[in-house]
Amino acid sequence: MNTNSNVYTVIYTTIVVVMVAAVLAFVSQKLGPMQAANEKAETVSQILTAAQFGEKEHWSEIGNKATLDFYKENVASSILVDIDAKEVGALDFTDARVYSTSDLKAQNYNIKDSSALSLPIYQFKNGVMVFPVYGAGLWGPVWGYIAVADDFKTVVGAYFDHASETPGLGGKIKDDPAFRAQFVGKVVDFADGKPFSIVKGGAPEGKDNAVDAITGATMTSKGLDAAITTWLNAYQKTFVSGELVNVFADAIKAATETAKAKEE
Amino acid sequence: MGNFKETFTTPLLKGNPITVLVLGICSSLAVTVELKGALVMALSVTIVTGLSSLICSIIRNTIPNRVRIIIQLVVVALMVILVDQFLKAFESTYAIDKSLSVYIGLIITNCIVMGRIEAFALGNKPLPSFVDGLASGLGYGAILIIVAFFRELLGSGTLFGIRIIPEAAYAAGYVNNGLVILPPFALILLGCIIWIHRSIDKELQEK
Repeated sequence: MNTNSNVYTVIYTTIVVVMVAAVLAFVSQKLGPMQAANEKAETVSQILTAAQFGEKEHWSEIGNKATLDFYKENVASSILVDIDAKEVGALDFTDARVYSTSDLKAQNYNIKDSSALSLPIYQFKNGVMVFPVYGAGLWGPVWGYIAVADDFKTVVGAYFDHASETPGLGGKIKDDPAFRAQFVGKVVDFADGKPFSIVKGGAPEGKDNAVDAITGATMTSKGLDAAITTWLNAYQKTFVSGELVNVFADAIKAATETAKAKEE
Repeated sequence: MGNFKETFTTPLLKGNPITVLVLGICSSLAVTVELKGALVMALSVTIVTGLSSLICSIIRNTIPNRVRIIIQLVVVALMVILVDQFLKAFESTYAIDKSLSVYIGLIITNCIVMGRIEAFALGNKPLPSFVDGLASGLGYGAILIIVAFFRELLGSGTLFGIRIIPEAAYAAGYVNNGLVILPPFALILLGCIIWIHRSIDKELQEK
């Protein structure tokens, strides 16, 4: 048989590709639920890290189940809000439901073309609220979580992750603890339309709502900066109007009461 | 059949992918900061080289010559994606997969894999090809683990995340070497390994 004829080549490559696709589809379907469980625990651990409940490594050490249990124990509410800071729904926190990165991606599109939003806010019993951000880095998506104290102003922590930024450069948004440590103690300030900035060449002295960008990772820093700006602006009314303050206070009260009732 | 042993040992020593063929350098700089990551990377590459060599050898007489490289690439990519999917699925390997980030996916472009398929698997029977692939992966992995051993010990004072250099040493003024963590040191270390390898094996020395 002439293995170099055009017909043979086309048929051969087609068969190979179809077979490979079938194998991949099968494996991906079989392993999908396990991967989803890992990803969920990863997302929860990122939220907990942002809220300063522990270092990132701590959560992988204690395992998925313990991480989710810790989250369930400490979360007070996880509501969904729209652009007017109206509560439009809630995630079942007794099941540790959180937005996955693909959920964030969908919301990111909604923010961009101003359609109806349902953005999550994870609120813990100690009053800390965690807000997700999502945007485009250099090679792929970047996302993260910014934890804000119950004064709706002070940043208590942050955690960022990325799909494919360059290790050692853009990858530092995740790998360099010094980068995210900069966020602690800063404030979110909506005065000039830019609630928070990542500034190339260093944040100006005395500016409370800015941190230094990563040297050698201009595009990643810019992408993260844009992500934070876009998302915090979408949450602006939650921060400024105080619309949800009572909702959050009630949630904490309810959560503490449930915990008390459980103890008795 | 007597040369099975030779097929197996050549890539480990005389034909070591890293120290002799100088392939796969880029990932050996990147994933050798910790032993754990290096070990997972070594195993992943071994599985990928072994199985892709096996498959490519089985189908070697049917592959149209003009699209040879593309077909090999499809097989290698399949293996790499499978390894990545399995690493992501298990709780114990998920964190390591995340810390290796893009490098698992980049096994596709690791010259060792394609190099062994082109140089060996396409001209040999499946079983020797499989052995050659495995041994190439192990030869690569062995160097990775040697480099990672020194980098983790000197750079973080730990091995597999377990503290080796006692706290007392730090209290007495010992500090971890920051340079060891950075990629350039891996290159220096690799140079030293190649040097040692060549001075032991006289056959590798040029006249």
